[in-house]
Formats: sequence, C-alpha cells, structure tokens
Amino acid sequence: MQALSGVQLSAHAGGAELRATDMEIGLRVPLEAEVDREGTVVLPARLLLDVARSLPGAQATFELRPAEQDVEVVSGSATFHIRTLRSEDFPPLPEPGGENVVEVPATAFVETINRVARSASRDETRPILTGILVSASGDELRMVATDSYRLSVKETRLEAPLEGGFEANVPARALQELARISQAAEADTLTVSVRSNQIVFEVGGDVLSSRLIEGQFPNYRQLLPDAFEHELTLTSGELTEVVRRMSLMAQKNAPLRLHFAEGELTVSAQTPDVGEARETMPLAFSGESFEIGFNPEFLRDGLESGDGGDLVLKLISPLRPGLIESADGSGFLYLIMPIRLNV
Amino acid sequence: MRLIVARCEVRYSGRLNAVLPEALRLLMVKADGSFMVHADSGGYKPSNWMTAPTVIEEEGDPPARIVVRKRAGASEDRLEIEIAEVVSDVHHDMGEAAALEKDGVERDLQEALAAAPQFCGEGFRLVRREWPTDIGPVDLMCRDPADDWIAVEIKRIATIDAVEQLSRYLERIRLDPAMAACRGILAAQSFKPQARVLAEARGLTCVEVDLAVLRGEREPDLTLFAA
Repeated sequence: MQALSGVQLSAHAGGAELRATDMEIGLRVPLEAEVDREGTVVLPARLLLDVARSLPGAQATFELRPAEQDVEVVSGSATFHIRTLRSEDFPPLPEPGGENVVEVPATAFVETINRVARSASRDETRPILTGILVSASGDELRMVATDSYRLSVKETRLEAPLEGGFEANVPARALQELARISQAAEADTLTVSVRSNQIVFEVGGDVLSSRLIEGQFPNYRQLLPDAFEHELTLTSGELTEVVRRMSLMAQKNAPLRLHFAEGELTVSAQTPDVGEARETMPLAFSGESFEIGFNPEFLRDGLESGDGGDLVLKLISPLRPGLIESADGSGFLYLIMPIRLNV
Repeated sequence: MRLIVARCEVRYSGRLNAVLPEALRLLMVKADGSFMVHADSGGYKPSNWMTAPTVIEEEGDPPARIVVRKRAGASEDRLEIEIAEVVSDVHHDMGEAAALEKDGVERDLQEALAAAPQFCGEGFRLVRREWPTDIGPVDLMCRDPADDWIAVEIKRIATIDAVEQLSRYLERIRLDPAMAACRGILAAQSFKPQARVLAEARGLTCVEVDLAVLRGEREPDLTLFAA
C-alpha cells in the first residue's frame, strides 16, 4: 500500500500532527502550528524528511493545493511542491485510553527495555521470540526477552505501586522505538493502554501504538538452573573490556574461549586465516580448570547490559547455560547458552 | 563444445539492434547449437547469446567472421561477429553430461528424518514412510512414547501450502477412529513466517531441521529451549 510509505500530516484547530505506520507499529507526533485551514494529507515520508532537514528557515508553511494534488512547502527563500499520496488509504491509528490504562515511570520503563531488548530474536519466523514480555503490577516492572540462545530478565522495583497492571508480549522493535521517543521527550511518566491485541503508549504527547504478539511466551523460570558449580564475582568493566578486545579475533562464527584455572581467567579467540588473541586476568576461581565457549556478541551483550558495577558469573559445565547476574541484586539476569568447542 | 577467445566486434539485429564494440571476448559454441558471447566481467550472464536451434556460418580459417542466425517468427535474429584476432580456438568433446544432483531436497530430508525420527520429537519412532491416505501419502507416520500417532510432512521450505497439505492429510487420517487423535508435525529446513503462524493456529507443530545435523555431520547448536 503506497500510503504506508507516507507520513500523514493532519492540521486541525489545536495544531498539527504527524502520523506514520507500517501496520504493526503506529506513531503520532503532535506539532505546534498555526492552522489557517484544516485538512489532512499524506506525503512521501523519506522525501518529506529530506526536505524538512534541508529547509533554510526555522519555520515552514505547508499549504495543500487540491487542484495540483500537491503540498507547497515554503521556508525562507525555498519553495517545494511535493505530490501527495492517496490519503484515504492511510489507516486510522488507535487512540490511547480504554479500560486498562496504567501509568508507569518513563525512566524506569526505558531503562528496563534497554537492559533486555538485545536478547529479543530478530528472526521473523519465530514471532513470539521477537517480542519482550512486559509485566507490570504492584511495585514491580518485569521484562523478559529471549532468542533461545540467551535470555534477559530485568525486574525493576518501582518507587510507588502502580494503579492497575498488565502483561503483554510487545514487539521489541516497538519498545526500542518507544525508548528512543521517551528519551527525547524527557517525560516523567508514560501511559500504557492495553487491549486484547494492541498496546498504546503515550509519552510527552507522542503516541506509539503496536500490535501485540499472540502465543505462549516461553516459561523463563523453568530455564533458570537450580544450582551452579561455580559462582564468581567480578568487575563488569574489566571483563567487558577483555571480551571486547578478544572478540576482534573471533570472526566468522568463531567462539570466544573462556579458560578458568586456579586464580585466573584466560579469554582467547582464534579465526583461521585471520589470527588469534589471548588475554589473562586474575579471577578468584578455584577448583578443576575448565574451558567454555560463547558467542562473542552474545557474551558482550550480556556484560554490557549490566549496570557497569560488579557482576556474578555462574557456571555449571561447558555445555550447560551460564548466568550473568548483577551483584547488587538489582534484578538483572542474563542466561547464555555456550557453544560447543572442538578442542 | 568450442571455445574461441578472440578480439571481435559483435552486432545483434532482431527485436532490437545492439553492438558490443571490439574487445577480447570468449565465444562459446555448444554442440546443441546455443551460442554465447562472454566478457571477463558482468557476472555469469553472457553479454549476448542465442539459444538453439541456430544456424552458424563461418568465414575464413582462422575464422574472420561468424554469423549466427535464428528464426524469430516472421523475422530473424542475427549475431554477426567480426573477428580481428583469434587468440585461442579449441574444441572439447564433453560426452554425455550427468544431470545436476541436488543435495538437501525433500527426499534427502525424508530419508534422514526416517532414520532419526527423534528430531521430530523426543522418543518418536517411525511406523512407516509414505503413509498412504486416500488423497496421497504423508511423508512419515510416527508414534510417540505414549503410543499416539503423529503424521509428519517434510518440506525444504515450509509455506502456507505445506500447512494446507498437512491439514488435508490429517483430516483424512483422523477419519479412522483409531487415529482420531493423530497430531501433525511440519518439518522443514526453513519456515515462512506466515506458515508458522497458520500451523500454530491449526495446532500443528513446526520443527526446523538441519540436514547436516540429521546426518550427524554437525553437532546441533546448543539452545536454552527448543524454539
């Protein structure tokens, strides 16, 4: 549908609004405007963006010229005539409100999104895993994401209990967009309206809507091992830096090798025809030494998703999942499956 | 097969007119009459070609001019090659060509899954390959540890059509009261997103399989759960 490649510009007595949607996510952004004549028009999005970025003046005038089927954009000494797209094809976007409306603190919500979003799958053939399971009730906000190779859980304690609650599997793409909008809006709270198959967020006047993902989200609690063989507390920053450096030599799906020995950890990587790297750091490890392999990107994501403080690394054996946990009990868990190492 | 490397100019006339200016080119003349002009760039496609049947006329030895003609309705397609210099001109007897053998086709998958039905579900055992129904055979019929029936349809790429096909088989299989609870599994190397959604909506299980893993050539990736 051609109209979906466009942005709907709606001018009404109170101001103007920009709307865009890909049928999965919809966004409405209000604009301050002096409106002489009300109307709605759809303009090609990419072109409008390029034009808007290039305008010489601080303000612009938009005038619909029905006879020419275009919009005249004037700013400073520049004039553009942009052909319109079929307005009637543009779908209506949902309004916030309804029976289940919950107000949540924006900063906590965005921080929680940012801690788990990387674990959501990007594989569209597994739609359930492309979402983040968001649960909010009482004074707890919890988000869970997994792509079956790793699992992120963040439980955020809220300063004040919520009025109402919800649980929904929201596309990670929508939540990442919401995080960007919220950070730009600098609003204190965001309003969440939950319906049977749709969720609408309102933050600082912007309205982002998304369809919900249907189906049973994996029971993440079942995936967390009951006990671990090794529990190591370490400084997140130090290990993150080592992992980043060594990852440079783990190309073409090569694993990152973590060799635990008495009092030290050696991180190494090798890519045939490219090279290899190795770095040893002190670590309070005791017991029989062992080696475990991880996808470098997934391990880095887990380490970077922490809050930068100390973390606890829990391991069982080279073929069982490892757990990265915030040492301060801030409610962040990152479960990561190892890669088999061909010794 | 005749391969001529020559500095030449190629003129095509027919549905349109086109000229390849003089340059070093490879002229391929196949025994079946097809004719191709290749450059050392531009990918696998010839710069110009004419499919068989063609009439090929040649002047000079070494060739100074080659004309390839083909009837195209009322008109004629024509390639005229003016050769300035022949660098190489060789003939090869290619013999009988064996047909392309494709690995990873549905039959290979069926064979591998029949040998290792546990990849479709824990404890599955094979009852029969090509289980007959009155609208065609379903690829595998298995039983699970509880002795329940499971029909498995195998595709290289699972599409909505594959879901429809398995649904139709199940409809027929379940007419037998002894198999009324028969479940369906769609096994494929990859799934179209719509096929997965429709399959799940119809209560069918999707199982993604990797032929190399099935054959034991590669260990499966470790995952937290079966996705």
